[in-house]
Amino acid sequence: MSQYPFRPAPLSGVGLDRRRFLSLAGLGLSAAALAACSGGPDTSGAGASAATDDTDWSTVRPAAAITFWSSNPGASQAVTQQLIDAYNASQSETKVTLVTAGANYEEIAQKFQTAQAGGGLPDVTIFSDVWWFRYYMQKTIIPLDGLAEAVDMDLGDYRDQFVADYQYEGAQWAIPWARSTPIFYYNKDHWSKAGLEDRAPETWQEFEEWAPKLLAAGTGVQAAFQLPALAGYAGWTFQNNLWGWGGGWGSPDDFDVRCDATESIAALQFLQDAVYKGGWAGVASNSAPNDLTAAAVSATISSTGDLVGIQKSATFPVGAGFLPGGPAETSPVCMTGGAGMGIPKDIPKENQLAAAKFIKFMTEPENAVTFSAATGYIPVRKSADVSQLTATNPLLQIAIDQLEVTRTQDRARVFFPGADQAMANSCANILTQQADVAGEMSALKAALTTIYDRDVKPNL
Amino acid sequence: MAAVTAPADTGTTTPAGATATPAGRRRRRRGPSARDRRDYLVFIALAGPNLVLIALFTYRPLFENIYYSTLNWTLGATTATSVGLANYREFFTSPDAASILTTTAVFTVATVGGSMVLGLMVALVLNRRVRGVGFARAAVFSPFVLSGVGVGLVWLFIFDPVVGVIGALLRAVGRTSPEWFNDPTLTLVMVIIVYVWKNLGYVAVIYLAGLQSINKDLLEAAAIDGAGPRRTFFSIVLPLLSPTTFFVLLTSILNSLQAFDLLRIMNPLGRGTNTLIYEAYLQAFAGSNRVGYSATISTVLFGLLVVLTIVQLVLLERRVHYR
Repeated sequence: MSQYPFRPAPLSGVGLDRRRFLSLAGLGLSAAALAACSGGPDTSGAGASAATDDTDWSTVRPAAAITFWSSNPGASQAVTQQLIDAYNASQSETKVTLVTAGANYEEIAQKFQTAQAGGGLPDVTIFSDVWWFRYYMQKTIIPLDGLAEAVDMDLGDYRDQFVADYQYEGAQWAIPWARSTPIFYYNKDHWSKAGLEDRAPETWQEFEEWAPKLLAAGTGVQAAFQLPALAGYAGWTFQNNLWGWGGGWGSPDDFDVRCDATESIAALQFLQDAVYKGGWAGVASNSAPNDLTAAAVSATISSTGDLVGIQKSATFPVGAGFLPGGPAETSPVCMTGGAGMGIPKDIPKENQLAAAKFIKFMTEPENAVTFSAATGYIPVRKSADVSQLTATNPLLQIAIDQLEVTRTQDRARVFFPGADQAMANSCANILTQQADVAGEMSALKAALTTIYDRDVKPNL
Repeated sequence: MAAVTAPADTGTTTPAGATATPAGRRRRRRGPSARDRRDYLVFIALAGPNLVLIALFTYRPLFENIYYSTLNWTLGATTATSVGLANYREFFTSPDAASILTTTAVFTVATVGGSMVLGLMVALVLNRRVRGVGFARAAVFSPFVLSGVGVGLVWLFIFDPVVGVIGALLRAVGRTSPEWFNDPTLTLVMVIIVYVWKNLGYVAVIYLAGLQSINKDLLEAAAIDGAGPRRTFFSIVLPLLSPTTFFVLLTSILNSLQAFDLLRIMNPLGRGTNTLIYEAYLQAFAGSNRVGYSATISTVLFGLLVVLTIVQLVLLERRVHYR
């Protein structure tokens, strides 16, 4: 028995004679042959077939069973299942199964994209604002106009801002579902101790004046304002600042990149100064809403999808208001966000029709209200009766009212694959490493331009 | 004195047409015997399924990955274009490549070195016959069997400067928490600490087995000769542990270069912790979904692993004492 537990065979003892060489060569060739037999993309240059909408849906029968992939945004699994159960009970032709296909928009996107190659596509899935356009470019989703007409889905009754977010080339590519805007959350107790009016600041300059009072109010906060965790959605929320200063990542109407404009640099310089010079702003490590509810900071900006969670966790009265404006623009400086529901191209027509019927049900006015009440997302239908909802939770009215002053997001963020990650990295360098703002924005513009030239322009 | 000459090769000197000797017939190559064939069938029956599985799920993806590295392919797209070695040129000329390789090297050296040094120290402590050592061994090993995702989430809260335990303790003594998540250097330190904590038990248990297999007579002889604990450790124990050290080094380097779960959970953006394997993930799934470029990085990582393994087997094994 060996004295030592591990004794690797010495390499020098392995002779490579002719027979072994041939065996290894055979193994290699077999593996190469296996690789050649495998699936993978078509490299013949034929290109993917375009998603068209010329189906006569009246001749199609809905599938008996479909799946709905969701990442359950805003802790919505229970209410989503409740609505699915109601749908399954309301009709007998299609049974819907909820599949939790990720913990966030990025994970569900990964699963959806790998399913394009590996199979097992869902029949309905949620698309976030930064992902659906990739699917459009890859021709893996279908336009929904014809299906909407076939199932009597009244697109005119959906909130215009939300519907417009999924339109391109005259077609509708998703239906609004878990839609939100960011809002300004604050700790009313801290506001009171600092002697501030019970409202959100109208501009960032006004908040800059309030911040020293909040820090001096003896609340023990580490920062008057907590910037959101940059790994998450820095690219999303900082559009508020960029627009307020008259800048932007780009434009909502074209593919220009404007992050290096003087106004954009000034907006981010203001945030950097708030952290390093003024010392009134901090940067969340993991979750700004958690920092707020722990009373470690006095205010933050986060999605309306976090509203109910913040209210449940906070041990103090929570205030909310519109996003502050800047020196150049006070309105509109709020962006929309969240997710819609869409349908893959490479599934049977029967499943696509059943999926459309299901989407119609989930976004019916009363169901949209039910979903909003449980999560804080904004009801996506104009005809939804929100009186009961806002009576129960008045802060939801702020989110709904703010919709009137929302602005379509810059294409450089939502249409450029990977732009959000590049923006988050640049913002992190500026706000946590005190990097030169102009230099960072110049580098970001170069990165975004590369993304456009390489990943967007050839696919338009 | 008679000269000694080698016997002539009968095989080459037998005249054509001559009858071979019985000895010559015995040397003639025979076909496989029934026993050989039976052994071969048993080998095929036992090893065949495994070889098929390895070919399908290890070699096939490996070769597919190398093939994909020559494509410009976006995840989810059904079409791609061949770009030859352009992805490799892009990676090796990219300003990010040096940073990624440096981060990979720092993470690997720190985690492997930290795990081995601390693991050996812990093993030396656990090798003593003291009360409660069984519980201590289980406690030290238990983090290794925990899910990396779960470990990452727990440490995420521990390190959080605002709501975390470390921040609270520091604030209690009038200090502020380091910005573990916002300073890339500290983020790397944080992830290394958690990785070493999680894998320490594995190294310690392997070293413990090595320590327990050391012949006690040698230690007693060293003591009789007047060797102190330090001399005994460096001159007797450590050399005799060299096979264990070799094994731990080899497996730890391979595991460290493939570490993913903690990096993904604790620092999803990858600032400061962007190793080769994490960059491959980011390129395929979190950024532009460039599967071809991601496959290129994976292939570079594969090449690095092969080179490192060969270097270790060829160079380091010479310094290993098996007796």
